[in-house]
Amino acid sequence: MATFLIEDVTKTFTNGEVEEQILKGVDLTLKEGEMTALIGPSGSGKSTILTIAAGLQRATDGEILFEGKDMTKMSQEEIRQVRASEFGFVFQSSHLVPFLTVEEQLLLMLDVAESKLTKKEQEKEVDKILKLVEMDHRKDAYPASLSGGERQRIAIARAIIHRPKILFADEPTASLDTKRSKDVMELLRQLTKTLKLTTLMVTHDEEMLPYVDRIITMRDGYIEE
Amino acid sequence: MKIAWKEMRKNKTKFLILGSIIFLVSFLTFIISGLANGLSQDNAALIKDLPEGQFYLNENAKQTYNLSKIDTGLQEEIVKEHPQATAFSVQMGFVNDVEDKQHSVAFLTSTESDVFEDVREGEILLDSSLKEDGIRVGDVLTNNQFSGEFTVKGFVDKKKYSHAPVAYINITNYQEMYRVMEMQTIFIPGKDAPAYNGLESFSNKTFLNAIPSYSAEQMSLNMIIWFLVVISGMLFAIFFYMMNVQKIGLYGILKAIGMKTIALFKMIWFQMIAITLVALSLSIGLSQFFNFVAPEGMPFHLSLDTVLMLSAVFLIVGFVGATISGFQIKKIEPLQAIQQGEM
Ligand SMILES: Nc1ncnc2c1ncn2[C@@H]1O[C@H](COP(=O)(O)OP(=O)(O)OP(=O)(O)O)[C@@H](O)[C@H]1O
Ligand SMILES: [Mg+2]
Repeated sequence: MATFLIEDVTKTFTNGEVEEQILKGVDLTLKEGEMTALIGPSGSGKSTILTIAAGLQRATDGEILFEGKDMTKMSQEEIRQVRASEFGFVFQSSHLVPFLTVEEQLLLMLDVAESKLTKKEQEKEVDKILKLVEMDHRKDAYPASLSGGERQRIAIARAIIHRPKILFADEPTASLDTKRSKDVMELLRQLTKTLKLTTLMVTHDEEMLPYVDRIITMRDGYIEE
Repeated sequence: MKIAWKEMRKNKTKFLILGSIIFLVSFLTFIISGLANGLSQDNAALIKDLPEGQFYLNENAKQTYNLSKIDTGLQEEIVKEHPQATAFSVQMGFVNDVEDKQHSVAFLTSTESDVFEDVREGEILLDSSLKEDGIRVGDVLTNNQFSGEFTVKGFVDKKKYSHAPVAYINITNYQEMYRVMEMQTIFIPGKDAPAYNGLESFSNKTFLNAIPSYSAEQMSLNMIIWFLVVISGMLFAIFFYMMNVQKIGLYGILKAIGMKTIALFKMIWFQMIAITLVALSLSIGLSQFFNFVAPEGMPFHLSLDTVLMLSAVFLIVGFVGATISGFQIKKIEPLQAIQQGEM
């Protein structure tokens, strides 16, 4: 079942006089419960297509269909709402809020996603997700006191606590060593399956590929079949 | 606004420093405002306490009250027309007490009236501040330019003019002392302001400015007050601007995960209001305490009304300052922030 369709998306950047087409017509279908990895040389447009799909920047042309609605036609506010309640994000750095404890980070995300849960239910949900990422023992810690791997786990917890449909991850393991990278990949895979997420990730690391269901290679703004 | 509160809790020092500065600035503002008000009372309580009405000076007096002389004929005509009207004069001078000590006073005399005290010849009525100089009812005072003597008949409260206590004397004594028959000013209480040939009319407010030094004194103090208010607004703008610059990445992430821009503004507003309220309550409390313990002779008067009005201005100015600094948040692109964080 397809929940996310990228159809003939192009992206042109203008630097002064020079126009450069970075994406030259990208088609991509993401499936529920499936983990898709984008690979390819640096500068091939992986991050660009991921951020366009995630509603963080606009496509120059093409369609992005999420649950049948074309995101390229949505207003900024509509896109924000989709990002807040339907999408989850993990970036290369964990980008946690420095002055919030682990628990507060997750509660904030539920707040942003306008969760309908009661305060009690929200706290239960936080406990549950923290167990899932094996971080329940650091509930009251501030990001500064966590290791890089632990921070990334919290970032993942924040990305899924509001039960998004799509999870976007741009090189989520790039700042971690191999052992921790594999742990994070294992976690992402497991979450994708148990929560029936649709996961799109970018990676550079060949070693991470065994964990994904589908591998898409990009080259020069195209998808290589 | 939990996130705003939590940031303050985690970064106590930063916010404490801003709070202390706002406290000091607002406290200074209140003190200067109390001083301005006190000095204004000290300088012109006599005029300020008069009911609303109209003052008349000679047209040729260049709006300076000491230079004004009102034609006796015209004066009689006006007083006949307006029974409420009173002609009066004030001159700075001295009285010598029983021990031959000199006291500076503002001699005031007037035609019969409801707004000024009526004194008989040879009698004098003094502002109560002279009591502290040891003058008592029944004392006999003298003046170099006056052949007779003044017997202190009593005291009145808070009648000051040009920083000197007012001394009410009879018009005949006044005319002898200053060798003039004409009065300087005519005052008609009430709303109507008839025009007279050769006279210029003033409202209570504009007449205050005809008192030498009054407007200069008040203007400079008021200028200090408004500068301090503006400075506090700029402090907020600068403080939040610097905080925001440090947090551009964070704001970008919060926007990326779907937080509304208005929520980020609310965060700044909450922090600004919390800091200002705490700082203001402290300085309101302290300045009111100062008002209470200020030494008797010190020209300091700070009403709660003034303090609350200034506090409201501080809040508004702080709000504007914080909001202006928040405009940069509006411009932050989430994508940029994410990529900057990874550089
Ligand atoms: N805002 C922009 N303005 C101009 N050019 C841009 C912009 N963003 C990206 N590009 C260009 O688009 C191309 C693709 O960038 P993108 O970040 O998608 O590559 P990538 O495949 O993610 O590379 P990497 O593996 O190094 O992260 C690059 O040549 C980059 O310089
Ligand atoms: Mg990239």
